[in-house]
Amino acid sequence: MAFHKRVLRSLGNGPARRNLFGPVDREQLQQDYHTALMQDLEEASRRWGFNFLTEKPLDEGDFLWEGVAGAKVPRVYRSSTLRKGLQCSVEPTSLSEAAVSTETGSTSAGAAPSPVQSGKENVPGTPERNTNSLRDLERTPEKRSANSNMLKRKQTNITDFYQAKRRVVGTPRKSGQ
Amino acid sequence: MERPEHNMELLCLEKDTVVRAQQDPNVFFDDRVLQSLLTIEERFLPRCPYFNHVQQDIKPFMRRMVATWMLEVCEEERCEEEVFPLAINYLDRYLEVVETKKGCLQLLGAVCLFLASKLKESRPLTAEKLCLYTDNSITSQELLDWELVVLGKLKWNMAAVTPHDFIEHILHKLPLPEDKLSLIRKHAQTFIALCATDFSFAMYPPSMIATGSVGAAVCGLQLDRTERALHGDNLSELLAKVTNTEVDCLKSCQEQIEQLLRSSLRESQEKQQRLEQEALNRAASKGVDTQSMSQSQSSTPTDVRDINL
Repeated sequence: MAFHKRVLRSLGNGPARRNLFGPVDREQLQQDYHTALMQDLEEASRRWGFNFLTEKPLDEGDFLWEGVAGAKVPRVYRSSTLRKGLQCSVEPTSLSEAAVSTETGSTSAGAAPSPVQSGKENVPGTPERNTNSLRDLERTPEKRSANSNMLKRKQTNITDFYQAKRRVVGTPRKSGQ
Repeated sequence: MERPEHNMELLCLEKDTVVRAQQDPNVFFDDRVLQSLLTIEERFLPRCPYFNHVQQDIKPFMRRMVATWMLEVCEEERCEEEVFPLAINYLDRYLEVVETKKGCLQLLGAVCLFLASKLKESRPLTAEKLCLYTDNSITSQELLDWELVVLGKLKWNMAAVTPHDFIEHILHKLPLPEDKLSLIRKHAQTFIALCATDFSFAMYPPSMIATGSVGAAVCGLQLDRTERALHGDNLSELLAKVTNTEVDCLKSCQEQIEQLLRSSLRESQEKQQRLEQEALNRAASKGVDTQSMSQSQSSTPTDVRDINL
């Protein structure tokens, strides 16, 4: 018999498919999960001087936060920030990507791939399609903290959106043919 | 009309072939890489024996249970050798900072395997498969949820150094017979896996476990009889020089590994005998010819477990 088989057999315990420690307390698990995520979030808030739930800089902190137009940030970063917010389910932030693809779909006849189906395993739930969230996405944290109510009505970020749209439409052409 | 057949054959062949990059001499034969590994390896080590400080519910034997299970999953799924020790590193680092109930331990083990496999394999283990191995005591969603938690607690530092990272560097620097290399490598890998199941090795630097494992492999295969440089103390000094370890530390590590091996083999043998005895008793009670059965068992010992199933 192979050497490693002989050595490792001493550890074996029948079929590998088995439950080791009995039933799992699902409720407790869910609770622990949320507690752990909140802890992480608080820690990150302290570390970065930024409230990631409200997306506002904290008053005290080692960093000076400066707003950047959302569309200038690579898409990867936009989606993950918002997913994180969604995951913590504290603020009903909807997925921005869905919004982007909805808007794009109307102009490019659905040529743009829906980023929601990105094939990532770790995307919790199905994000709701919400066009309002686009504004959330394009707004910059700095401005938001200053006068967020006003901004909700204003179309300040239409140019940003245009940029984002262009990129989405361009993507399939590059990789497709 | 032959073409489609050829295509199909090609597809079939591709299905089971793991595409592996050739060993890059710029990585494995460069001392700077080894030195960098030695510099950063300590960063990924658990710092305290968490059973005394952090954990209330979890006892050392439970770590062994979950580690054993993880190793079995890796064996059955033919994971890359690094996956198991890396997953154990995640597990230890998590348990070092988060008090955990034993009911969550298998979930945690599955999550660590999930992450380590993603990091090291071109075709990683899927969430569903891992859930199946827990006998569906956890759900895919829980696995994915806790993946995030573990990542957060480990501060996303997932590219931990494992003993495997040192193996090629060490082998390259020893005067080993070419034809024995793959056997030595295989044995060293087995020792590394064995060490990962035992908590007493959890806080040893990976380089020490790697040198100890190679040392134990070379001694175990009795290569020291033909090559003077591989003889006892010569070998230890050679190994110690490769990883800048104290010779005494290295020796004691190697001795511990050899001890662990001995007790494992003993356990393995006892388990085997127990299984055979059980099978014999069962057969006897059913009136089967035990004489012939015991013969067939001793010649094919691996099949005993299959009979029990």
